[in-house]
Amino acid sequence: MVQLRPRASRVPPSAMVDEGQPASEEEEEAEHGLLLGQPSSGAAAEPLEEDDEEGDDEDDDEAPEELTFASAQAEAREEERRVRESVRRDKTLLKEKRKRREELFIEQKKRKLLPDNILEKLTTAGQTNIKKSSGKLKEANLQKENEDCDKGSDSKKAKVQKVQSVGQDKSYLALRLKGQDLRDSRQQAAEAFVQNSLYGPGTNRTTVNKFLSLEHKRLPVKKAAAQFLNNAWGTQKKQNAKRFKRRWMVRKMKTSKK
Amino acid sequence: MGEFKVHRVRFFNYVPSGIRCVAYNNQSNRLAVSRTDGTVEIYNLSANYFQEKFFPGHESRATEALCWAKGQRLFSGGLNGEIIEYDLQALNIKYAMDAFGGPIWSMAVSPCGSQLLVGCEDGSVKLFQITPDKIQFERNFDRQKSRILSLSWHPSGTHIAAGSIDYISVFDVKSGSAVHKMLVDRQYMGVSKRKCIIWGVAFLSDGTVISVDSAGKVQFWDSATGTLVKNHLIANADVQSIAVSDQEDSFVVGTAEGTVFHFQLVSVTSNSSEKQWVRTKPFQHHTHDVRAVAHSPTALISGGTDTHLVIRPLMEKVEVKNYDAALRKITFPHRRLISCSKKRHLLLFQFAHHLELWRLGSTVATGKNGDTLPLSKDADHLLHLKTKGPENIICSCISPCGSWIAYSTTSRFFLYRLNYEHDNISLQRVSKMPAFLRSALQILFSEDSTKLFVASNQGSLHIIRLLEGSFKHLHTFQPQSGTVESMCLLAVSPDGNWLAASGTSAGVHVYNIKHLKLHCTVPAYNFPVTALAIAPNTNNLVIAHSDQQVFEYSIPDKQYTEWSRTIQKQGFHYLWLQRDTPITHISFHPKRPMHILLHDAYMFCIIDKSLPLPNDKTLLYNPLPPTNESDVIRRRTAHAFKISKIYKPLLFMDLLDERTLVAVERPLDDIIAQLPPPIKKKKFGT
Repeated sequence: MVQLRPRASRVPPSAMVDEGQPASEEEEEAEHGLLLGQPSSGAAAEPLEEDDEEGDDEDDDEAPEELTFASAQAEAREEERRVRESVRRDKTLLKEKRKRREELFIEQKKRKLLPDNILEKLTTAGQTNIKKSSGKLKEANLQKENEDCDKGSDSKKAKVQKVQSVGQDKSYLALRLKGQDLRDSRQQAAEAFVQNSLYGPGTNRTTVNKFLSLEHKRLPVKKAAAQFLNNAWGTQKKQNAKRFKRRWMVRKMKTSKK
Repeated sequence: MGEFKVHRVRFFNYVPSGIRCVAYNNQSNRLAVSRTDGTVEIYNLSANYFQEKFFPGHESRATEALCWAKGQRLFSGGLNGEIIEYDLQALNIKYAMDAFGGPIWSMAVSPCGSQLLVGCEDGSVKLFQITPDKIQFERNFDRQKSRILSLSWHPSGTHIAAGSIDYISVFDVKSGSAVHKMLVDRQYMGVSKRKCIIWGVAFLSDGTVISVDSAGKVQFWDSATGTLVKNHLIANADVQSIAVSDQEDSFVVGTAEGTVFHFQLVSVTSNSSEKQWVRTKPFQHHTHDVRAVAHSPTALISGGTDTHLVIRPLMEKVEVKNYDAALRKITFPHRRLISCSKKRHLLLFQFAHHLELWRLGSTVATGKNGDTLPLSKDADHLLHLKTKGPENIICSCISPCGSWIAYSTTSRFFLYRLNYEHDNISLQRVSKMPAFLRSALQILFSEDSTKLFVASNQGSLHIIRLLEGSFKHLHTFQPQSGTVESMCLLAVSPDGNWLAASGTSAGVHVYNIKHLKLHCTVPAYNFPVTALAIAPNTNNLVIAHSDQQVFEYSIPDKQYTEWSRTIQKQGFHYLWLQRDTPITHISFHPKRPMHILLHDAYMFCIIDKSLPLPNDKTLLYNPLPPTNESDVIRRRTAHAFKISKIYKPLLFMDLLDERTLVAVERPLDDIIAQLPPPIKKKKFGT
């Protein structure tokens, strides 16, 4: 092989020696890679390097180390084992983390729930369903000793819910949250359907102002449009118009001054 | 009569909610009306169209269907998916049962009155059995693809017609399967992108199904073959409701443009037996969508987004052609929504979800009769009190001294104490109100503001003593055993000894507060009471009924007064009896015991008991006589009823002190300004 590129900087031989060792290892491994069936292009690229490095190593004039196949195989197996170990460790760590989080969640949920004795009462109470707002829970008289009740009720969502009244103790009411979201969304969708079909696009609607103004126009004694006759009409629009006019005047004054 | 300064109040921003459903009950001649805020009102059509009962609304309860079942039971279904039965005696909701089909769009009771059909959002039609105390789910019919928006039973109870989006299905009740599916054109002889919504169906006994849809068509279908028989295009906008009469010879439809059309079955030629449906009369009494119509044997009833309830008696069905056959338009409430504190010149306005407290302005100017005096101090909006929760406020009151405000919803009762320092006011809530005070129908404070009287819907009357910042329950008057009748109106005498309470049917009970027992009962009258008041000093109880009769009963003597007997013998003037709106408030002059001040929506009247009574020949509505008129004319026209129609429409009128009146008006234009948009109409020349 012809050496096409002259070496610009001559690195001191000691450094070369150090480099040489890992380089030789790589060489060996590359060779082994070749034996083990690695792609030839990689092997093809390697010989170039090998030659160059062998060119550097020629200063050292050391024979490359001899590594048996068995040792290299053992090394490779070591490597694989190490990788497998690390993966397993990662997995267990993740599992632990997840477990810890689950426990934390369960604890929080338990804290949110009402204490056991109240839950017992709920399951044995009657089936009357009364709708109450959760805001009432905060103000209803709680005749229990523990304050967990208060915490539990305070953290509930403030929406109208179906409740079950507890048998003899009617001073507070419990909420059942399951299914309420679905019901609300369905009700909203139904209301949106009616709104859309009556007032949505494609319907021929007009404002009350225009409607009444048309009537005024058709009277035997014609009257002005409703928005001018009634001072309370369109107050927001009038306010906006006033503000805009003021700003426009200011702008006009500024430009005219210049 | 005297000279008064009148505070003309127009800042009460009262907007009633639109009417969504109407249901007519033939046996009792009553009309149930449900509004968009969930309120259900019951009108007694034979008692001069008076609203005798109402159920307060609820934010989440979007009622879409209302119907009467056998035995005076009222059911409603709404978009929250629940079927609600109303207890008409106790004036509360008996129970709410979830239909588990999603939002409920339509409901129909079978002709025999024992089964209830419900059309839901998921396309299922559910059949319920009406048991004596509840309803029970029986079975589901075949599920359809889109929501069931309208339902109708065949008079024999064997088939039903269900209108959905773009098609109508006919079901067989026994098997529950769909027998026919009739597809509806999206547009009259054309194609449109918007889906055709079948807003109403009606099933006649000869098998004809009448459908009204959002394309403006009224179509007649033959249910045996499932084919279209006749098509009427009557409007450019939706036709939203249909109601058939019991004899099935006429039906009425309401459109989104506000027009109500009457269809009748007439013979083709004068002596042939063949009949056909012809559109006979259009009525334009509404400006906005007519979302509900009903057909009583003699009248067409319609109600819609413009909040009026219009009852149009049909000329050919009415037997006696007198004033009863005129058009009735119910716009203003039949209850008092305003209370007044006379000492501090405060007004409390009751809305659906909040209360407003205003202080009246004052003026130092004086002027002649008819002058408008400039205000030196404007009216002040002192307080805006929002209620917690989705329920509507049923009733509210402010004490005469202005330091207590009380209001009630279905589940709670609220009492507040107001403190005034200079121009500021501070509010303090009295907590831990007892549970038996909730669902109060009427709240009243005594004249010295030490006692609170609450009439609950269970028929009991509670007396609470008010102390500084707290209260003490004094006594409860229980109703007569066996009857659960809700007390609707209360009146207390200014000296604090007597309390009068009127229910819906029995007579007016008068209780002695000092001894806490029933004193006497005014004999029952067959028309409901619209207003009650007790006069100072004389302790005469003045009662106004819905047929415009006014009685005066002396409480200490336990009998009607002389004046009352005289006027009953002579009878009221015919024009007085022909007024459409009920008297909602009665008050008295502190220095003139012979004067009674009362008002209804379009007039206010001062009755002078010392002057002679008018007979039918005299002029009832005299203009104010000028001083230079001759004595003869003045003597001829002077009678006891001094009526003024200057301030209208009146929601409230009261005497603040000897020389001041307050009149709260609500012009119709201001209500119309806040309604939803109407349909655009193309008019020639605009």
